[in-house]
Amino acid sequence: MTREEIIAEINAELAEEFEIDEAAITPDAPIYQTLELDSLSLVDLIGIVQTKYGVLISKAELPTIKTFAQLYDYIEQHQK
Amino acid sequence: MNDVLIIGSGLGGLECGALLAQKGLRTLVLEGSHQPGGCMQSFRRGGLHYDTGLHYVGGLAPGQTMHKAFGQLGLLDLPWERMDEAFDRVIIAGRRFAFHQGYQAFVDGLAKDFPHQREALQSYVWRLQHVTEEDMEVNAYDYLSKTFSDEMLLNVVSAAAMKTELKRESLPLFNFAHTCSGYIESSWRLRGDGNLLVNKLIDTIRKAGGEVRTDSRVVRLTETDGHISKAVCADGSTYEAGYFISDIHPAVLCQMLEDCPSVRKAFRRRMASAENTTGMFTAQLSIKPGALRYLAHNVFVYDKPNVWTMTEENDPVKGVMVSARVPEDGSDMLRQIDLLTPMPWQECKEWEDTKVGHRGEDYKAFCKQKTEQCLTLAEQYIPGLRDMVEHCYTSTPLTYRDYLGSPEGGAFGMRKDCRAPMLSFHSVSTPLPNLLLTGQSIILPGIEGVTMTAFETCSRIINGLGIKD
Repeated sequence: MTREEIIAEINAELAEEFEIDEAAITPDAPIYQTLELDSLSLVDLIGIVQTKYGVLISKAELPTIKTFAQLYDYIEQHQK
Repeated sequence: MNDVLIIGSGLGGLECGALLAQKGLRTLVLEGSHQPGGCMQSFRRGGLHYDTGLHYVGGLAPGQTMHKAFGQLGLLDLPWERMDEAFDRVIIAGRRFAFHQGYQAFVDGLAKDFPHQREALQSYVWRLQHVTEEDMEVNAYDYLSKTFSDEMLLNVVSAAAMKTELKRESLPLFNFAHTCSGYIESSWRLRGDGNLLVNKLIDTIRKAGGEVRTDSRVVRLTETDGHISKAVCADGSTYEAGYFISDIHPAVLCQMLEDCPSVRKAFRRRMASAENTTGMFTAQLSIKPGALRYLAHNVFVYDKPNVWTMTEENDPVKGVMVSARVPEDGSDMLRQIDLLTPMPWQECKEWEDTKVGHRGEDYKAFCKQKTEQCLTLAEQYIPGLRDMVEHCYTSTPLTYRDYLGSPEGGAFGMRKDCRAPMLSFHSVSTPLPNLLLTGQSIILPGIEGVTMTAFETCSRIINGLGIKD
């Protein structure tokens, strides 16, 4: 998948799953605040990425993903 | 209003009920079916009691894993009987081995058969006693492969872990170690059926002012101001409470939360899509009076040294657990033996739309054939067992699904995966602060795992309410 395809797909998915307005998802937006993540719903985010792309975000690398752009980067680099 | 409402009366639900009622909380347990107890319940046929999921318990002696917990729950008062010193016997490809109670005895026993692996065995039992949460990320099979250079020994030490799901690519060492260690400390059977344990917990709840109601199936939970405010039952009755605990499969719980705005789709989907463990086939045999002396040990018989892969090709049955029930009349002759073997859901697919008692002749023939295969393996230890059988009652993952509400008849709840521990080991918390989870799907399966989880669930409430623990 191209980066553009990933962005379009994951944005729609996250908006649907976390029940927020897709317009709020921009590359530089802070992912935790935008999706209203806490320690529990963070696991939901990891689950979506794993199910959708077969990409498992490791515990060690989790703190490096703070914006949506960093999430797109991570998926793009790790997708099979 | 109740302080705590518990949905489901499996071991975890009843343990939570007993612990919280003992703390002075008004506790109500609602069970959807007619009989309480979940996997701990027993049934009666032809004057004998048969257990569903209870076979033996580990670590009940003073200072051991389960002693304090069972003491607190009042369960040490039950008639537990210590099993043979060689509590688990293993037969693999005709070779015989024994597990002895006590870590050093365990090492010494197996070192007689594998003298070149004594150091590895010593290292193994040390690891079993020092398991940490980091072992949720360690692959059990990989750990065993690195520890034991002798492949037969790897199979032998894993053989009794048929009481969890031995999945080579995913089983965490955390689960494997908890499945094995308590039994090595000491192994016990109950003289009597699992209902003794169920009734003892219910008695504790009632004596402390709580209640357990059967035929009360919760169908919906209602959210008010970010908290669950009430449970609605199928008959329309409603129950309010300060805290709610779910002791049912999390995917089933999520169906009750569809109207709760605080529970977003992401959580519901994660719970609904989590993989379930494999199921079990059980043949419960009543034995002709006077035909066989009681066996105070279990036997695990495998056709080949493929303990970790046999479910991939378990037709015909490649391994069986043989477990006798303590004779209730004090006689030294047994009346009942259970034969168990893993059975994946795929083997049930043909009958997945059928109901108990109406699955058809081909299902009966399937169960008969499976029983015959189990008997063939069991006869490696008990020659002539077939001819001693008076009656046989079978259960499959379909039975688990229909009686216990376990999706796909999974015997050990939701699968744990060392490659994705964050996704497969679940928190007892939910998006709603007063709704908590317990039971075998959350952290660990088995009596030890469910009990540990119940304590964790209750500690959240006890701490939340500022009660002295």
